[in-house]
Amino acid sequence: MSVKEAAPPRAAPRQHGQTAKPRRRSGQWWVPWLFLAPALILFLYFKFIPMAQAVSMSVQEVRPYLGNTWVGTANYSEILSSDSFRSAMGNTIVLAIGQTFGSMVLGFGLALLVEGQTRKLTFIRSAAFLPVVVPLAVVAELWRIMYHPTSDGLLNQLLGLIGLGPSGFINDPDTSLASIAVTGIWRGAPYDMMIFLAGLAGIDRGLYEAATVDGASTRQRILHVTLPGLRPVFAILFVLAAVRGFRSFTEVFLLTNGGPNGSTEVVMTLIYKLGLEQNRLGVGSAGAVLLFVATLVLTVCVQLLRRRRTA
Amino acid sequence: MGKALTWVALGMGAVLVVGGCGTSGAPKVEQDSKAPLELWTRTTPGGDGEKGMKKLAAAFEAKTGQKIQVTAIFDDFETKLSQRAAQKDLPDIVMNDSSQLGTMVSQGIVREVDLSKVPGTDQLLESALSSAKAGDGKVYGVPYSAQASALLIRKDWRAKTGLPVPKTWEQFTALAKAFTTQDPDGNGKSDTYGLAVPGSTKRGYASWYFSNFLWAAGGDFIAKQPDGHYKPAMSTPESTAAVKWFRDLACTDKVIQPGAATMDTPPTNETFEAGKTGMYVVGPYLMPRFDKSLGKDKYEVVPMPKGAKDSTVLAEGGSVYLMAGSANEAAQNSFASYVISPEGQKLGMEGDKAFSVQLPVNKSVDVTTVRDDPRWKVYADVYRDHARYAPSIPNWTPIRQDSADTINALIADCGLNLETEMSTLDGKLSAALSKQGVGAS
Repeated sequence: MSVKEAAPPRAAPRQHGQTAKPRRRSGQWWVPWLFLAPALILFLYFKFIPMAQAVSMSVQEVRPYLGNTWVGTANYSEILSSDSFRSAMGNTIVLAIGQTFGSMVLGFGLALLVEGQTRKLTFIRSAAFLPVVVPLAVVAELWRIMYHPTSDGLLNQLLGLIGLGPSGFINDPDTSLASIAVTGIWRGAPYDMMIFLAGLAGIDRGLYEAATVDGASTRQRILHVTLPGLRPVFAILFVLAAVRGFRSFTEVFLLTNGGPNGSTEVVMTLIYKLGLEQNRLGVGSAGAVLLFVATLVLTVCVQLLRRRRTA
Repeated sequence: MGKALTWVALGMGAVLVVGGCGTSGAPKVEQDSKAPLELWTRTTPGGDGEKGMKKLAAAFEAKTGQKIQVTAIFDDFETKLSQRAAQKDLPDIVMNDSSQLGTMVSQGIVREVDLSKVPGTDQLLESALSSAKAGDGKVYGVPYSAQASALLIRKDWRAKTGLPVPKTWEQFTALAKAFTTQDPDGNGKSDTYGLAVPGSTKRGYASWYFSNFLWAAGGDFIAKQPDGHYKPAMSTPESTAAVKWFRDLACTDKVIQPGAATMDTPPTNETFEAGKTGMYVVGPYLMPRFDKSLGKDKYEVVPMPKGAKDSTVLAEGGSVYLMAGSANEAAQNSFASYVISPEGQKLGMEGDKAFSVQLPVNKSVDVTTVRDDPRWKVYADVYRDHARYAPSIPNWTPIRQDSADTINALIADCGLNLETEMSTLDGKLSAALSKQGVGAS
């Protein structure tokens, strides 16, 4: 996003080696771009050009074979004025917030529990990381089985043990969105955990020792040493998780496809329905562009907040 | 930050410039009678459907010497077709659901069929041929296969309850209740249900399934007016009664399998196979699968019981679409002609699994001459006497989608007010119809 971060390093750190020539070390300005080129070309071809096409499609009525016709902002006004888009936007925001905070809290808890260096912990960490590696289609099918709505369903049996239920989970409009959020948290938390672990490793051990010497309790150490030390990690995770939350598609598509009664319809499933099932690619693209703008605004806001705090 | 915003603005500008390069117009292609045909069929790659289609294509090749290449695609078929359309390089022939006609015509990717150049089209069943006519009265496809819905019942379960094959909706409900409450599988648990329903909104399944009940009750999604335009018809007394009856199966009688509201067809098929549901309204294409997984002797195929009006069920089928921009229109025509010829139809129906034709569309071909299985006769009779296709409007998908959303909502949330939902749905259907230019004012 920012120019400063994207700019190539001007010069390699100066070293007084015996073999390499200093002139080749500093290199030409285009050398870093040369190394970046393969990635940039791939990005251009598979990301930026399709994105550009989505923007251009959003102002046209798309008929791939007959040729598109310019309709101006009609697609936007149609999608913005539709109730289904507004309710999908609401569901998306609720789902994004729920998944973001749920995954962060659970991920942080997991990270604290498995922090350390013994061999057993490596195994446990890998085990905890598994949900991230499992394909989402498998995750969805697994949870569909667990969410079976009768009292002999897996989760309903557990609920039955504590005298609750049976819950309809994804089949009940009141609980469907929360159920999908739980699935998302289950999958997202280990990912957050890994980033937290990396952040935890960067915190100076001396601070903990000093705090212990000063008589700080575990709670105080977490509150006054760990959390402040993790501030940049939180910022990055927040952006990543929010973007991920906004783009939730696969688990919703596979578990409920927006139902029952539209209670889990998110922007992505709506775009899919409009664009690919009803073949109204123009209106679908307009929705996609709006989602992109919303994500962009969110990212920029977080960056601004972060900069203000560090400044 | 200001700098970053400038970059964003520049990026967006570039995006608009790149995107502005539009294209238009369908190209005219020089004809080449030797050009090989590329055929796309909507079926699972590597599956029996593909084998059946390859067999048919091979027979055509052997007979005419015309080369033909079969590609089977199942997932996102329409999306992939759109991509090829954008490249102006469509396959020559697409074999897909007849209900896709309106969408394909409005995209301009199929060419009009000149019936005089496709010998044998005069042999087609009236109802099948009418499914290939678009709203403008012109023919844009050649139907090659037909199917209708019939009722599958667990024979052993029904024997246990001692109830007859349902002839009316009352008997149907009674049987469904018996399957739900009388523990027909005898495992001592109440874990069986009367009716399997794919009630998800994916591809509009909820609406697709419900149409079998809606039409039998005399209701309709949309009603054709004398001037050829359409009015929404979901809040008529007949439609409302049908919805109420269907909803009671889920909400009051609780005979529909739990989780129906989020199930598309694969998990619903499994409930029937696994002995969790005792009745299922489906087309003949699932028989080979159930014969294998459940056993041929475990279930029976009967016509749907009579509703308030009659026993109308949903008819569907496959059509050969002759795609625009083909370099070999003559071969397109002759392939379509071959598939609907008695020889092609019989060949397409042969085999226990790898058949590409469900029910013949050629008047002179009788399904019983190829398959001596009486269950096929049931399907053939239902198709001939009681089946009805979805209406030909420019794009049926939004109608199906909107009504699926409402049916799905009603079976998932038993607290919703039915009349309100029906009139909201009518509002949506009305908007969808007028957007397509076929709405009655």
